[in-house]
Amino acid sequence: MARYLVERSFPDGLGIPVGDEGAAACLGVVNRNGDNGVTWVHSYVTDDKMKTYCIYDGPSPEAIRKAAEQNSLPVDKITKVSVLDPYFYR
Amino acid sequence: MAYGMHMELLERELFLAELRGLLDQASDGDGWLAMLGGEAGVGKTSLTRQLAHEVDSSARVLVGACDALSTPRPLGPIEDIASSASENLAQLLRGNARRDEIFRAVLTELSLGPEPTLLIIEDVHWADEATLDLMRFLGRRIGGTRSLVLATYREDEVGSTHPLRIVLGDLATASNVRRMSLPPLSERAVRTLVGVRDLDVGALYNRTGGNPFYVTEVLATEVNGIPPTVRDAVLTRAARLSEPARRALAAAAVMGSPMEPRILPEVADVDTVAIEECLASGMLRADGESLAFRHELAREAILATISPPRRRELHSLVLARLRALPQSDKDVAVLAHHADAAGDRDAVLEYAPAAARDAAALRANREAAAQYVRALRFAKGLPDEQRLALLEAYAEVSDLSGQGAPGIGPRNEMIVLARAIGDRAKEAEHLSWLALSLSTAWRTTDAERAMEEALAILADIPEGLAHARVYSILAELRMMHRDLVPAVAWGERAVDLAERFGDDLTLAQALNSLGGARLVGDDVERGRADLERCLDIARQVGDEGLEAGALADLGSGLSEVYRFAEADRYLCAAITYANEHDLGLLDFWRHWAVAWLALTRLFQGRWDDAAEHAVFVLRFGTEAADTSETPAPGVVPTSFQNPSYVKIPALIGLGRIRARRGDPQVAPILNEALALSPPSGPFQFLGSLRAARAEAAWLIGDRHQTAVEARAAYDVVVRQGLRWQAGELAYWLWRAGELTEPPATVAEPFALQIRGDWAGAAAAWDVLSCPYEAARARAESSDETALRLAWATFDGLGARPELAAVTQRLRELGARHLPRGPRKSTRANASHLTAREMEVLFLIEEGRSNAEAAKQLYLSPKTIEHHVSSILAKLSVSSRQGALAEARARGLLPQS
Repeated sequence: MARYLVERSFPDGLGIPVGDEGAAACLGVVNRNGDNGVTWVHSYVTDDKMKTYCIYDGPSPEAIRKAAEQNSLPVDKITKVSVLDPYFYR
Repeated sequence: MAYGMHMELLERELFLAELRGLLDQASDGDGWLAMLGGEAGVGKTSLTRQLAHEVDSSARVLVGACDALSTPRPLGPIEDIASSASENLAQLLRGNARRDEIFRAVLTELSLGPEPTLLIIEDVHWADEATLDLMRFLGRRIGGTRSLVLATYREDEVGSTHPLRIVLGDLATASNVRRMSLPPLSERAVRTLVGVRDLDVGALYNRTGGNPFYVTEVLATEVNGIPPTVRDAVLTRAARLSEPARRALAAAAVMGSPMEPRILPEVADVDTVAIEECLASGMLRADGESLAFRHELAREAILATISPPRRRELHSLVLARLRALPQSDKDVAVLAHHADAAGDRDAVLEYAPAAARDAAALRANREAAAQYVRALRFAKGLPDEQRLALLEAYAEVSDLSGQGAPGIGPRNEMIVLARAIGDRAKEAEHLSWLALSLSTAWRTTDAERAMEEALAILADIPEGLAHARVYSILAELRMMHRDLVPAVAWGERAVDLAERFGDDLTLAQALNSLGGARLVGDDVERGRADLERCLDIARQVGDEGLEAGALADLGSGLSEVYRFAEADRYLCAAITYANEHDLGLLDFWRHWAVAWLALTRLFQGRWDDAAEHAVFVLRFGTEAADTSETPAPGVVPTSFQNPSYVKIPALIGLGRIRARRGDPQVAPILNEALALSPPSGPFQFLGSLRAARAEAAWLIGDRHQTAVEARAAYDVVVRQGLRWQAGELAYWLWRAGELTEPPATVAEPFALQIRGDWAGAAAAWDVLSCPYEAARARAESSDETALRLAWATFDGLGARPELAAVTQRLRELGARHLPRGPRKSTRANASHLTAREMEVLFLIEEGRSNAEAAKQLYLSPKTIEHHVSSILAKLSVSSRQGALAEARARGLLPQS
């Protein structure tokens, strides 16, 4: 298990409908991720919604890609990262 | 907890409902296999019994169990159901029918009507190899039966190297297979069980973890306080029985399963009253005609209290009583087990080899090997010939030579014995087998010495089959180290002799070595012919291992010389073959073929497939190489040297994919491959592993390391005449600036690139269907069209590092309308245009006709038409202009 930063580009801008439809879409993503042993932690979205930086926990880059494909999400770049917190060092 | 009382099972209704549902579907002709896992004592058996009870009137129930023996009876569970099944199955078992006949009879049994069949097989974590193969066989065909096969197993005992793990993996992709996991009880359920008794429920729940067996044992003892372990709980209960009853329990514990109830009174020296007491107390239960412990955990607990001398004594008594039974009721596997535990040498030597032969006949090779090991433990003092015969039989069922280090001790013994009886031919043969074992344990110098000794002996005896066999092995050894000229020479001599002396199996093996050596030496036509001939013989004699091996070798050999389309076909054939034959011993070939398929598809640009294949092979844990020189008793024989060797091609494939994609975790993968490689000397993957590492270094910009990696194998590989590997290594040295001229023996596409003919190289790579390599060649040019083509290919493949490099180069050339990053690939993926189709689209945009595009891409105009049609379909347009407009709208092409 490792933590990955996944960068995605959305040329049309990412559109997730507000409300039930959006919630259902996100939960669909969560379920398909589960099938691959991948957990979506959270994402950062640029203001123009053209790019997202997503934090994932998963077993391998291949699992991340497989989950992305099943969810019709693009993958630009995958980087393995570790969490560094300002309060980590006391 | 008296037996026979219908228990209300807590928290199991959902599982029962699901199983009843599956049985209903089976009733309609849609059969199911359910694998029910759970920790020991969690109530799997209680559940199956409850289910059996519930469906008793509407289904036919058959129950079989796997033995908790070190050498379980081959197809034990099927033996168990034989008496309740139809006469045909029973007859086949009695008559020692062939395994596939028995398997098919079982399948027929499951399709009988009118009621559906519930077949329960318990404790498959103890299953013998034949039963595991049966599960594979059934798993793939269960849908067509009218049955629910319910198999239970202890999840906690099935680690990553357990044989059941592979079967479960296989079944994971089969339809009509359901996996279920039974959890322990909740605290609430424990509370319900405790009822009004004066017990601290919380403490009981914590101590037992909700394990139903443990909980019910504690509740049955009626003492204050909770016994600290399950074992203590059982013993506390047993302590309340009378002394005769306790003797009966001890005897029953030693007898184990299957238990022969007729002999229990005599063995324990008790009368039936004592046995009734055991039954009444619930420690034993009646199981149809036979007896059993309430739970295996209880038996283990009792067994632990019997002193070793007493245990031996009891085993002796059991053995004597079992031997006195009528012939038809004797099971040699069970007799061998008790003989061993009793330390009865004569009995072991009588029964173990017979049990081994029985097991081997049913392809339960693991069990056969274990029986031979058992016999060998008692074989001191046997005449040399007999001892040698036992060892040779053992070697045959355990693929000793493929095991590497554990094969050395037994083989040395065989050499000494052959020498003692004066059989020089055998001595030479065993020496050559020893050389093979030493070689697979990477002790090359010792292997050479053993081989020299073998050859020296052969020089002294008239030419015969022994010569053919030894030369065949020598060819194999040379092949392993890619010493191809001698490999072919010895292979030819082996084939010649095998033909002359008319031995099919030896001929097939010789052809295998010869063909393999020719293939990887790029003598493709003759190599393929040899291996096809080997295949024919294998089919004729019905040797599945040889057939699977020949198919896999054809695949891997062709892949090594970049004939990927053909390699793909053979590898798929090998995998299909292994899948269809449900033989555990073919697992190695299946994994080997899948690993090579990963490499093959990597080069064909099918990266998603390739990654999936690699991950499949790497998923199954392989134990660390056994470096001891004598196999541990009852060890699971796994074929082929270091069992992790099969991971190397998978690791190389995955490492290259990650490197080419720019994905993380490349180094750990390629370092693992290096760690699994022999510490020194040339071997099969030396060239390709170093090439992969060179490429990985290049793609992260470490020029120096690229050269270091390439140098590590370059001289050897060039000297060995391996044109493709030499070619790639030369290429990396050239890019790192350390080479200006390609050496003579280098594959054409690489040679062209080093000489600067990028276009010729790209064309050559296109012919081989290597899109990444073709694009890489084009990326070395300064030609804008070629660079754009390369860009499109890299984009389609998702090759981020190369994509960035080409983008940079295009910018430097001042190209306009530069693609602005990964946008296109994501859009292309969404439109599902392939890399090739993107290339065609680019050319359409530039106004090329089909004929011009065909020339540019080195394809036929017909193929271009094909691609154009596909593009139109995928973009849902009807004209080339429409395609351009749509592509611009979707962002696949820049807005003009």
